[in-house]
Amino acid sequence: MKRQMALIIGTALTLVMAQAQAEDISAGEAIYTQSCAHCHGGSGQGMGSFPSIAGQDADYIAKRLTQYRAGEKVGPNTPLMAPMATDLSDDDIADLAAYISTTFE
Amino acid sequence: MIQRITGLSLCAFLASAMAPGLAVADNSDADAPELSYTTVLSDLKDPWDMAFLPDGTMFFTEKCHGLSVRLPSGDVNPLLGMEDTEDYATTADDLFCHGQAGMNGVAVDPDFDDNRYVYVYSASRITPLHKNRVIRLTVNDDFSDVSDRTDIVEDIPYKQTESDHPFGDAGAHNGGRIRFNPGDGYLYVTTGDNHDGEIPQHPTRLGGKVLRIDRDGNAASDNNPPDGFNQRIFTYGHRNVQGIAFHPDTHETFVAEHGPWHSDEVKVLENGGNAGWDPRPNVGGRGDCPDHYCGYMPDQMEGMDPEERRAFMPMTDTERFPDAIRPAWDNDKKSQGMSSAEFLTGSQWKGWEGKMVVGFLGIGFGDTPIGQRLDLLDIAEDRLSVDVTTMSVPMGPARFRSVVQGPDGDLYVAVDEGEIYQITPE
Repeated sequence: MKRQMALIIGTALTLVMAQAQAEDISAGEAIYTQSCAHCHGGSGQGMGSFPSIAGQDADYIAKRLTQYRAGEKVGPNTPLMAPMATDLSDDDIADLAAYISTTFE
Repeated sequence: MIQRITGLSLCAFLASAMAPGLAVADNSDADAPELSYTTVLSDLKDPWDMAFLPDGTMFFTEKCHGLSVRLPSGDVNPLLGMEDTEDYATTADDLFCHGQAGMNGVAVDPDFDDNRYVYVYSASRITPLHKNRVIRLTVNDDFSDVSDRTDIVEDIPYKQTESDHPFGDAGAHNGGRIRFNPGDGYLYVTTGDNHDGEIPQHPTRLGGKVLRIDRDGNAASDNNPPDGFNQRIFTYGHRNVQGIAFHPDTHETFVAEHGPWHSDEVKVLENGGNAGWDPRPNVGGRGDCPDHYCGYMPDQMEGMDPEERRAFMPMTDTERFPDAIRPAWDNDKKSQGMSSAEFLTGSQWKGWEGKMVVGFLGIGFGDTPIGQRLDLLDIAEDRLSVDVTTMSVPMGPARFRSVVQGPDGDLYVAVDEGEIYQITPE
């Protein structure tokens, strides 16, 4: 029984670690700095008419980016956001969501 | 992904540096001054504009907070706060921000020593249909408070609701720069078209215009708009003017104006003139357009050749308006968020003395490089062409919102990131 429990815990830890590795925060930071910061600001605070994204959770960020990538109209800045999301891979989106949600408050 | 973006950016940089008419940017030619910078204020929220007194006292606005003043000692006094602000000496709950609108421009009266007047341009909820207003305030003796609010212009249109356009939120295309012309003493007020196709060429709606008024809000006596136009209108047919500056010798009025996915424009204004912007549907060979505004057509969702855009929806339509004011510069047919303008004066600027500085917020749409920068324009005598130098900005790129020369001769620069910098030529 103890052996089975250890196996389950070990498997779960492996999955958690794999998930953490899948979301590469430093890769997300690199994309953010290159493509996002000039509108949303270095700390996600929002600037001009571009909204703050600080405090948003990873699911929200990933959902929005996925919608923009799919060509859905989400809000008034869709024409600006859609081209930014067009070439993002699923991993890119996961990385960005992880970076934004864990870095900006 | 990262490598791809970096590669694209490098290509864009090289392409922009090598494009005809764009100077390769740096301050290395013999006539250019060496530049250093100081951070004057930081951690501001959307600083939008500044205005100076001769002793260096600096009034400044933050779009969603209000008006403050920085004294020569470095102390900052919050003067007039907007709704939901605290710690301002006075609060006006009708003043609000949304999208591009809020408290925008600020100007100091030329006779400030006598009348203590300062002016701001702000969105207001006083009327159910919200408006932009130009508000005159009296500053007290120790610069700790303002009083005697007088709204000298109450009827500048504000975009009420979201529409189906890029930047389509309420408050868009809101203009907002205000400046006194030292040549005639009048206050010039720049406004925007609100994403409303009718406004720019409309004779009485004050959006898409440059107004020229006295300190009480009355029309300048020699304004010369067409018959039937509101007499406060100096020029009309504008899209969204956020830069205005006066030639230091001739006092001619120059504006810098956001373009429609193409052609940011700088032009010298003519009293009563038409700047040539008319985004109405079903005119100029165009059909229906989203929400009755053709300003981003023929394709407002995806990037395309700026030249094709210009042919379809010109920024200055000289075919329909043969007398339209011609631009001196169209940013090489690109739209990159050209926001503010100022002429540099004084020999400390060496070869840049007399040139106009224009600041770019940066918009990377389609294949257009983002273009956050400060450009120096040497404007030809006929006002129909320019030589361009791009400043090697010592503090790096940012969303350059406002450029103002201070009484010390240095250039003060507000950026959306939250700083006001002082650039000093050496």
